[in-house]
Amino acid sequence: MKARKRVITSGGKAKRSPTVRKIKPAWVGPVARTERPRSTAARPEAATPAAPRADPVAGLRAPDAAADLASGGAAATLAATEPAARPGAGTVDLAVDLGRGLVLENPVLVASGTFGYGVEYGEVVDVQRIGAICCKGTTLRPRVGNQPPRVTETPAGMLNSIGLQNPGVDAVIERYAAIWAGWQVPVIVNVAGESIEDYVGVVRKLDGVPGVAGVELNISCPNVGKGGLQFAIDRDAASAVTRAVRAATDLPLIVKLSPNVSDVRPIARAIADAGADALSAVNTLSGMALRPDRSGPLLGNVYGGLSGPAIKPVALRIVYEVAQVVDIPIIAIGGVAGIDDVLDYLAAGAVAVQVGTAVFADPVLPVRLVDELRAVCAARGLDSYGPLVGTALPRRPVPPSAKGVEYRP
Amino acid sequence: MFLSDAELIEARRILPRQWIQWYHAPALASAVRAGQFVHVRTGDWSGLVLRRPFTVNTADPATGIVSIHFREVGRGTAWLAHMRAGDRLDVLGPLGQGFQVDPRNRHLLLIAGGVGIADLRLLADEAIHDGRQVVLLYGARDASEVYPSSLLPDELEYVVATEDGSVGHRGLVTDLVTEYEAWADQAFACGPVPMLRVLAGIAAGRTKRLGVATLGRKRGGGKPVPMGSPQARRKAFLQVSMEQRMGCAVGACLGCVVWGVDGPQRVCREGPVFASEEIDWEATVGTARPAAPSDRRTAPRTRRAAPAGRAGR
Repeated sequence: MKARKRVITSGGKAKRSPTVRKIKPAWVGPVARTERPRSTAARPEAATPAAPRADPVAGLRAPDAAADLASGGAAATLAATEPAARPGAGTVDLAVDLGRGLVLENPVLVASGTFGYGVEYGEVVDVQRIGAICCKGTTLRPRVGNQPPRVTETPAGMLNSIGLQNPGVDAVIERYAAIWAGWQVPVIVNVAGESIEDYVGVVRKLDGVPGVAGVELNISCPNVGKGGLQFAIDRDAASAVTRAVRAATDLPLIVKLSPNVSDVRPIARAIADAGADALSAVNTLSGMALRPDRSGPLLGNVYGGLSGPAIKPVALRIVYEVAQVVDIPIIAIGGVAGIDDVLDYLAAGAVAVQVGTAVFADPVLPVRLVDELRAVCAARGLDSYGPLVGTALPRRPVPPSAKGVEYRP
Repeated sequence: MFLSDAELIEARRILPRQWIQWYHAPALASAVRAGQFVHVRTGDWSGLVLRRPFTVNTADPATGIVSIHFREVGRGTAWLAHMRAGDRLDVLGPLGQGFQVDPRNRHLLLIAGGVGIADLRLLADEAIHDGRQVVLLYGARDASEVYPSSLLPDELEYVVATEDGSVGHRGLVTDLVTEYEAWADQAFACGPVPMLRVLAGIAAGRTKRLGVATLGRKRGGGKPVPMGSPQARRKAFLQVSMEQRMGCAVGACLGCVVWGVDGPQRVCREGPVFASEEIDWEATVGTARPAAPSDRRTAPRTRRAAPAGRAGR
């Protein structure tokens, strides 16, 4: 048995809060969408074989974990006898299961590249209250990254072309894994590479390291000339790299989709079929900016990835499309800057969101979004946000957006 | 590093398109050291998603007042210039490594190009408070852009160079440095990259040119100090404050690097102050945003995005 801190045990032995509960993506079927969270929690765990056995009462406990730990049984009994939906912020449980036992206390993550390795913001942000941290893209060998300038602001967004600067997976494990292992918040390592062997090599090194809760495959970083984009835009390549990594590790595996494709649905389906536990959508859009005097491109790398509120409609469209064709959880990324954006993505079928660019302007935003989401649930008398997920999805699959902008009478 | 809620006390336009704003932020005023900067959140003014870095111009712990000096270069700084007394600002800071002054040094030479003076102003205050002698060399395009001496401490010797000769020395501020390099124990500079590069060249040849003796029992040998450490920076003759377009300002995004001899260096974390020998000047000049053609000829003026909005237009 690997000593992984992510293991969520039942009962009072849990190191983390014992209030975790499985929330199935509500869009798996019309029945699931209308189900009460109580029955969702009790459903069999067929889709997540590696997930720990669900405590039958865990889902019904009030989330004030510290208080409950002492009087665990009594509180559970009490909660079980009460109606599931009790108004009041204290009773809302935001836990979400991303598969293979990767259970987050809340669905607000910080996106890769915007939060470093979780230590940079110091005491400005209480990292323990974030759902999970996706760390900076990590490669097998150290990379120095692209020539500066690497970032610039654009209308309602920013361009970046960092070029995957990182000290290499060995240095990342050596410097940060011990810190991560001491945290309650799961750390998901973002993995990038130029070949399938690179990805597998990194993931093998991460497998079994205490403090590493999962991996997110960056198969779509648009900044690496060789490899990089090829995996994300090609269905077979994306499937191959996912399958190879899946075979190499038991860690929860998230694959990050690129928006720079004409139809994302076959790629998403291929990745899901290849064994990914979850999808994150989307990476940055390819773009560029010019120098103020228009004498050439501004970024040292010429092209950069666009992020921020500017890309939210694109990301929302992709989440909406992908949610209709896959059964695994989707983590939405793209321009989340407020609670409305979170609710939009949930309605479009995502079960969690990552906050990226907005962290730069407001480092405490992820923590605030958690509170606001809890307040929204409480105001609607919900004890989890499950009923908010997938409410905007159509009853039957709609045509792909590749045809969506055509005139239709 | 912490978030503070700063209230604007007073704003003054000191030069065309250049402003000094005084804010009440007591914790920041006590914590900040010369050369450090703050990351300021702009209002959501049709989608400004990034904060703007500004070096702290002056800080008075007694009154809790901090000032920033910036040039209006884009939408972010334009928004800031429209702040009115009583408005509040979300400020993250203090950030970065400040200037390192060797406690034994008595003579400090400050070299500023344009709005780069903002980075050196607090250093001048601190040095004068500590009883050091300070000379400030200031370069500008013409008389209309010369920093008003009324805003400088009386104890400081202020020497101006303008490119058209309308005030002071006619030419570049770097021309003046040779007159003071023997007098100075340490030099600190902020300004456009071409200016800093010339200064770095002067600093690199200084020991040989002047025949400076290395004193002390170990003749300057002693234990080697790692490059980039505060000790190494204290030993260096010239420290420069660098600028780059910036994202997070805490070292997470790796967006604001400049090229150092040991690879990319984050301006927000390892910098913004570097010893001049840490920077790979050839690579930095190559990747620096080339100024407009007229600027390229005349180093000291250039658009100085540094405190005036490294990140933004």
